[in-house]
Amino acid sequence: MIGKTEFIPTTCPYCGTGCSFYLVVRDNKVLGIEPWHTPPINEGKLCQKGRYAREFIHSKDRLTEPLIKKDDVFMQSTWDEAYRLIVEKFKSYKPEEFGCLASAKASNEDNYLMQKFARIALKTNNIDHCARLCHSSTVSALSEVFGSGAMTNSILDLQESNCIFVLGSNTFEQHPLIGRRLILAKKRGAKIIYADPRRTPTARQADLYLSMYSGTDVSLLNGLMHHIMENGWEDKEFIDKRTKGFNYFKETVMKDDYDLKNVSKITGIPEPDLATAAEWIAKSKPCALIFSMGVTQHTVGVDNVKSAANLMMLTGNIGKPGSGVNPLRGQNNVQGASDMGCLPNVYSGYQKVTDVRSRSKMMSLWGVEEVAGGAVGYTVTEMIDILADEPGRIKCMYLMGENPMLSDPDLKHVRAALENVEFMISQEIFLSETAEFADVVLPAACYAEKNGTHTNTERRVQRWRKAVDPPGQAKPDWLIICEIARLMGYGKQFPYESESQIFDEVAKVTPSYAGMNYTRLENPYALQWPCPDTSHPGTQILHREKFATLDGLGLFTAVEWKPPAEVTDSMYPLILTTGRSIWHWHTGTMTRRSETLDAEVKTGWVEINEEDVLKLGIEDGDMVRVSSRRGEIKIPARVTEDIKKGEIFIPFHFKECPANLLTNNAVDSIAKIPEYKVCAASVEKIKG
Amino acid sequence: MSAKGDLIHAWSSDPLVRENGESGGAVTALLKFALEDGMVDAVLGVRKGADIYDARPVLITDPGEVADTEGSIYGGTLLLSKLFGKYLSGAKDLKIASALKGCDVMGAYEQAKRKQLNLDNVLMIGLNCGGSITPAMMRRMISEVFQVDPYSVEKTSMYKGRFHVTYGGQHKDIPIDELEERGYGRRSNCRRCKMKIPRQADLACGQWGVRKDLVGRATFVEVCSGRGAELINRALEAGAIGTDIPDASCIKARKRREEAILNLADRWRERDFTPLSGSKERLKEMIEETSRCIKCYTCIEVCPALFNTTRPYVTAFPGRVPPEFGFHLLRYSHVADSCIDCGQCEELCPMDIPNALFMHAIEADLEELYGYHAGEDMSRPYISIMEEPRV
Repeated sequence: MIGKTEFIPTTCPYCGTGCSFYLVVRDNKVLGIEPWHTPPINEGKLCQKGRYAREFIHSKDRLTEPLIKKDDVFMQSTWDEAYRLIVEKFKSYKPEEFGCLASAKASNEDNYLMQKFARIALKTNNIDHCARLCHSSTVSALSEVFGSGAMTNSILDLQESNCIFVLGSNTFEQHPLIGRRLILAKKRGAKIIYADPRRTPTARQADLYLSMYSGTDVSLLNGLMHHIMENGWEDKEFIDKRTKGFNYFKETVMKDDYDLKNVSKITGIPEPDLATAAEWIAKSKPCALIFSMGVTQHTVGVDNVKSAANLMMLTGNIGKPGSGVNPLRGQNNVQGASDMGCLPNVYSGYQKVTDVRSRSKMMSLWGVEEVAGGAVGYTVTEMIDILADEPGRIKCMYLMGENPMLSDPDLKHVRAALENVEFMISQEIFLSETAEFADVVLPAACYAEKNGTHTNTERRVQRWRKAVDPPGQAKPDWLIICEIARLMGYGKQFPYESESQIFDEVAKVTPSYAGMNYTRLENPYALQWPCPDTSHPGTQILHREKFATLDGLGLFTAVEWKPPAEVTDSMYPLILTTGRSIWHWHTGTMTRRSETLDAEVKTGWVEINEEDVLKLGIEDGDMVRVSSRRGEIKIPARVTEDIKKGEIFIPFHFKECPANLLTNNAVDSIAKIPEYKVCAASVEKIKG
Repeated sequence: MSAKGDLIHAWSSDPLVRENGESGGAVTALLKFALEDGMVDAVLGVRKGADIYDARPVLITDPGEVADTEGSIYGGTLLLSKLFGKYLSGAKDLKIASALKGCDVMGAYEQAKRKQLNLDNVLMIGLNCGGSITPAMMRRMISEVFQVDPYSVEKTSMYKGRFHVTYGGQHKDIPIDELEERGYGRRSNCRRCKMKIPRQADLACGQWGVRKDLVGRATFVEVCSGRGAELINRALEAGAIGTDIPDASCIKARKRREEAILNLADRWRERDFTPLSGSKERLKEMIEETSRCIKCYTCIEVCPALFNTTRPYVTAFPGRVPPEFGFHLLRYSHVADSCIDCGQCEELCPMDIPNALFMHAIEADLEELYGYHAGEDMSRPYISIMEEPRV
């Protein structure tokens, strides 16, 4: 006899595209992944990370029991003992001494409870997550100029575009099933423009490749707009009817600084290419702009995104199929974790903690007399700075699945910060580089082991479905949070027996999710927010008739180009930029334990232009030392013509050659996002 | 008593199954009987998933659940052939009955030749198939061409060269030819397919040739093997099915249908292969289309003419994206004349590379040159390698 064999439909745990597949399950084991054709995002198709997303599930390295550190050594423990210690410690700190990090890899239910716990039980707004590090600049900028921080359009309507401008997004490697939509658009005759310092696989599919220096985005965007207005190609009707702030913006952009000659000098893009790009963007309606970390991870990240919004308003490309400002979100649930209020300034649905009405609404819905005060809490970058520079101000950290010891900039600084934490809990599926610093490690369930929902880059809320039990004693994050809360006397506020009960509460307190429930989400098309009531079909395209701002108008912003925080000099003559490989995910905890993915790419590399190596005596494959003002790493060189002269690139997945030991932790003054994409570095051959 | 070569009309004796099942529920009745009778340990089939366009594979060991399977989800573009080797130990110590389309059956043969599947333990109920349509295309076609809300549709079917849609008590149908000329309709591999009645299965079942008064109430069955005959006889004896003998006009009508759809397939082959007929054109097309490959391994994972391993295809440049052209050439050379044109490598390619078109074009040439017909029987290919590649 053969055991029950089931095909469990679920959604991929990796990127923000939100592809679906079946997990094939028998005897509590995931045997494989098979295509599920119906969900519209991927129609059964998967990239390699999705296709092999089962390989880490049953890894022997999975955490299976709570661990408590005694004399610097982790000892196996029980839930009871771990909880007792945690509750005792939690009760001993003041609200301002806590820092909580939620997770863009966890479900909406997990994240909603994490912020609820922080605000009710720990009474702190010091909660943040890695959205800070990827798209906080997008959320800040688009909230201000459009009234909503999210992707304006949808993955499916991208293929209706006549011109797609891809800026700082290696779409084919980072969001392959969105890359496919570019191909479908191109087959219909759309033009693809791609701007990036690297000639990536995305560049190869472009009709026009703009080879630019990192950190010159505003100059590029202002230059394109300068040329558009010089030729009178702007959409005057849209500007008149739908926007404000145009004149002041125009004054800035029309300065000589932004004529094509000057812009060409700053960006390194030839003038004729700039002119062609401007003409295509202005004349081929609808035009969509896609961007990602190449735009956001700068000290001028907010400026960059505002500038991108300016371009799309100038050309009237908002609110129609195939148009829009389309930030591609990195993690599977980075949109959702933000929507759920895992941010220091907002509750779920971006309801401000500083607003008395929001606060009293939450207190009444949660049935509590008191929540964290009305002051905005710390962002993750601020928490790390405070820990490192002002020891004792933050004493206790509660982490759900985050790995700053590899993912945050300037790792020496992060190490100093983590060493200063008095008591730290890490809730994880593997003992990550960060979990090593914890006092208590709690074993968590992975995506295949729990129910839940997550929200993809285009605001589509899709289901995870439990396929197997978690290993050993591991538990879903939401359940761990509930159990701690109950022991702290908040049983009434954390009564949930299932994920759907939590989601129903999310819908109750979050206007944009109000019309959603698990029954409706059974539809493979799921629902995109805003979905204000149970008869609402969800929203594919934002800002169709008016913007979500108070007066309904889009806001033009005058943005000047500013150079990066750190520029090259004779000591550090090369621009270092960082990013991902298609084969791996972020800090590699899952993908480096996936046999098929690991077999392709086993370690990191530094990409360097073939002309730059001539005077350095470096050949392809040589071990080199890459240094910045913050540290140095040893790494093999990949000599190529596919990177701009004067720039180098290092993927950040690999702990043996961590790019983030070199990166700069200077942040955008508004969004607090670090400048991962530019710092100054040098490369030398390691002799012998 | 039925014997190999017989042609019969059959239906389920269970009034409920007869009513709810496709064409009198004969296939459901036979699968259920095979499980009840102990002829097999399990049934591998397809059932309705999230909606009527959604097919989900299902392994059944409880005869009571067989009635939940669906023989004809046209939106079901799954291929079951590789599931045996991947999840059911290749049916080496397990007897399985399965309802299989032509490509499933051909794929099962190719897997069996590679020792990934023991066909002795697989009772193959073949299903006639005029081609299938992906769920996304189905929805698009129904809303754009039929002007019907896909959510309101109760049933879709392909019959007598037309695509039929039933919704809210109404009915619309449009010739498949016309739909396909307008860029809708079946997958391109299905259009080229000439395995419409899978006679290499134990039984071949469908609606072509069913007598007028029995349409919708009986299935036309060709008994293709001794084992197929045994199943029919035992099911009949046990009272699980009823049968009747079709007359000459039914058989003629069936032949006409088959010929018409085979002619259509020839026309599609000509149309699809002509632009690739020159060696330079073909090479250029392959190089350009594969230039957006991200090396996800799907085309290897899903191919029934390949073993259940991806290791040999890491090739000389691990991690390179797009991979060198050799990555594709190696697959072409391993699949070679064993391509059954199941379309999986194309339909599931995240970059929409027309893999199946290339593979099928190569196979069609090799078939003409060396005479090997993939997927039709247990004979060995002329070019493809039958040993599992070692790494």
